[in-house]
Amino acid sequence: MTKTILTVDDSRTMRDMLHLALSEAGFRVVQAVDGLDGLEALDAAQADVIITDINMPRMDGFGFIEGVRANEKHRGTPILVLTTESDVAKKQRAKSAGATGWIVKPFNPEKLIDAIRRVAA
Amino acid sequence: MDPLAAIKVTFFQECEEQLAELETGLLSMEGGDQDPEIVNAVFRAVHSIKGGAGAFSLEDLVRFSHVFETALDRIRSGAIEADQDAIKLLLRSADVLADHVRAARDGGTVDVGRSQAMAEALAALAEGDGSAETEEDTGDGFGEFEFKPVAFDMGEITAEPAPTSTTFNVRFYPQAALYQKANESALLLRELTRLGDIEVELDASGLPMLAELNPEDAYLGWTIAVTGETVTEAAVREVFEWVDGDCYLDIVQAGAAAALTPASEMSVDAMGGEVDVLALIRAAQEAEISPSPAVAISAPEPAKAKEQALDAKAQATAREASPQTIRVDLERVDRLIDLVGELVINQAMLAQRVAECGLQRASSVAVGLDDLEHLTREIQDSVMAIRAQPVKSVFQRFPRLVREIAAMTGKEVRLIMDGENTEVDKTVIERLSDPLTHMIRNAIDHGLEAPEDRVAAGKPREGVVRLAALHRSGRIVIEISDDGRGINRSRVKQIAVDKGLIAPDANLSDEEIDNLIFMAGFSTAATVSDISGRGVGMDVVRRSIQSLGGRINISSRPGQGSTFTLSLPLTLAVLDGMVVTVAGQTLVAPLTAIIESLQPKAADVRSLGPNAQVIAIRDSHVPLIDIGRSLGYRTVTPPPTEGVALLVEGEGGARAALMVDAIQGQRQVVIKSLEANYRPVPGIAAATILGDGRVALILDIDAVMVPKPHGAAATTSGADAVRPTAASDLPLAMAG
Repeated sequence: MTKTILTVDDSRTMRDMLHLALSEAGFRVVQAVDGLDGLEALDAAQADVIITDINMPRMDGFGFIEGVRANEKHRGTPILVLTTESDVAKKQRAKSAGATGWIVKPFNPEKLIDAIRRVAA
Repeated sequence: MDPLAAIKVTFFQECEEQLAELETGLLSMEGGDQDPEIVNAVFRAVHSIKGGAGAFSLEDLVRFSHVFETALDRIRSGAIEADQDAIKLLLRSADVLADHVRAARDGGTVDVGRSQAMAEALAALAEGDGSAETEEDTGDGFGEFEFKPVAFDMGEITAEPAPTSTTFNVRFYPQAALYQKANESALLLRELTRLGDIEVELDASGLPMLAELNPEDAYLGWTIAVTGETVTEAAVREVFEWVDGDCYLDIVQAGAAAALTPASEMSVDAMGGEVDVLALIRAAQEAEISPSPAVAISAPEPAKAKEQALDAKAQATAREASPQTIRVDLERVDRLIDLVGELVINQAMLAQRVAECGLQRASSVAVGLDDLEHLTREIQDSVMAIRAQPVKSVFQRFPRLVREIAAMTGKEVRLIMDGENTEVDKTVIERLSDPLTHMIRNAIDHGLEAPEDRVAAGKPREGVVRLAALHRSGRIVIEISDDGRGINRSRVKQIAVDKGLIAPDANLSDEEIDNLIFMAGFSTAATVSDISGRGVGMDVVRRSIQSLGGRINISSRPGQGSTFTLSLPLTLAVLDGMVVTVAGQTLVAPLTAIIESLQPKAADVRSLGPNAQVIAIRDSHVPLIDIGRSLGYRTVTPPPTEGVALLVEGEGGARAALMVDAIQGQRQVVIKSLEANYRPVPGIAAATILGDGRVALILDIDAVMVPKPHGAAATTSGADAVRPTAASDLPLAMAG
């Protein structure tokens, strides 16, 4: 069955890149533009995996992750955080907020798909 | 365009937006605005540019935006203060960043010296008085802005890979936190299989009695032996990278635990080594994890979680997987549809001209023309698909409507919707809303019984109204059904008799009685309610469905409910029609209404009066209607045996035979509104332009076949006869 990935990123470039890589790999992609938008999209998206950025307006990635984990219906959804290698502190913060894993930017499609495989049954 | 190139274009567009945001933000800061959100926005702008630049390997841009971002991050975290000097530096850096963006886009160069100086100044600013905040600073220094790949090889022990297999023993005891972050032990084990062969042993000794089991907690542990020629500790560790801190993890190379022996000298006596390993692990386990595996990590407070869930649900908007979309002005689409309509007409005209030349079917021109026709149809379908929208946009208003009507009527109603994603032309959708609203109101107000009555009738208190859409043979079918009382036929018939709609002794089938409710001026409600309104009955609904080229039918079973079935064309722009000649005029009859065509025999036609004839078709008699007369083209009906009769079925299922002089053929025609181009004409639904360039009128089947009420017949047909409308009367603009 086609897996659905919810991507949450305020940058159109990143959304497009993710969309391109994920749809080429056969995933269905639902996009949200920031944390709030992402929380609103949860029910409709029914995502198998969520990929989120950290720095976003309105609600950042940490708030979004906490929101997902507090949502009874979706708290079991794996969340991968887009981060940079140097952001050790952010990785830790994302982890304590409830992130499942992370994808280091810049990513290539293989790295992205590999990360999804690691968290999706 | 190659998709990646398209994204790059987007990236540079976005860069311009970010640069504008950056400048606006910095200027507000310069003006003394202390809002932390401004600093955040400024940071995000640079961060986004860096992220995209990294994706496209724009090294210079990445390098500069990284220093810039670092400085901004330090301001954001409060580690350094943004005084006027700092802001001036940031503003100038923004200019240099803009230069970098444009250089990356247009292939130009930047002032390297200026860029270098600015980068150094930014780095100096970032390092400023930043000794206090060290956490964010870790590894975030100036020299580190080259992204590193994940360090796969870190800590690899064997200097030269031995051809023999290596085994790592992994003790893995997840804690509840691991599962709370949606990691899965099974998936981690699966990852290990990618490194080599694994042997897994489950430790379920921590499992409590069922009554004490908390499904959110972690009780199981595993011992895994990973064996492979290329397995390294780092690779094993990497598998568990994301769960570090959320589990007890111990990785030991088999045979290496006893001493700090260099790998090259390691004994391959696995047995002996393993015993040591296990002993070590056991000791380690006792030391590090408490006997009770229950790890106190508080789950989110249920009440709060629920609240947030509801909140999110309330905010959830209908959202589909978003394939890439563009917004297009509807006018442009309509213009395109119009042009394609012209193309269809043009293609038909060309086909006709070629046919007139008497070319062989197999001639290359005729074959080419066939291809053109296919292509034209395909283009037409594709263009129509642009306007297609799911009926969801109409359906989604109804749950609320149902709740409101249920509250007003004191009935208990459940609305079930199906096929909301069925697509149909936007215009059809827009015009569906009113009739559907009316029918749903009717279904609840008139169809469903009060809860007590339902219980008395042995039904559940809650009535069900079902709204379903589906595609069937090139049309969209919408069904509105209820499980209410159904149509009370004796009452319907009585009302129709009382109102003079039918003769008291009329012998009607159940179906015919049910369809009486569509007659004008019919209202079944014992009390006129606020909900269904007064006077506006099902006849209005039927008219609006018919104006969309649709049909409506009802089927009802007493005590079990009623189902209304609407069948509508998918588009209002084209129609499959039969082109006929009547009194020298060319008319088009919608194919969907025609059951068959036949040549009347004199013996089958019977006169019922000076203006009324019936024709026997198989077992039944149907009215024979001369189109030429009803449209006022002629006053004397030619003998039926000289023409062709089209057996048609109207919306209510009533049949009639329409007399025409000859059939020209079937074709798809592009519908042109008469109302928009001329004025409404009784008996005519619309117009079209034929292959030969002539305008032809499209018949409104129901209007011409409606048996005119006895008393009104003379005046109505008289009025029509005074102002006949033929295609030749139409303004020339129609043809354009």
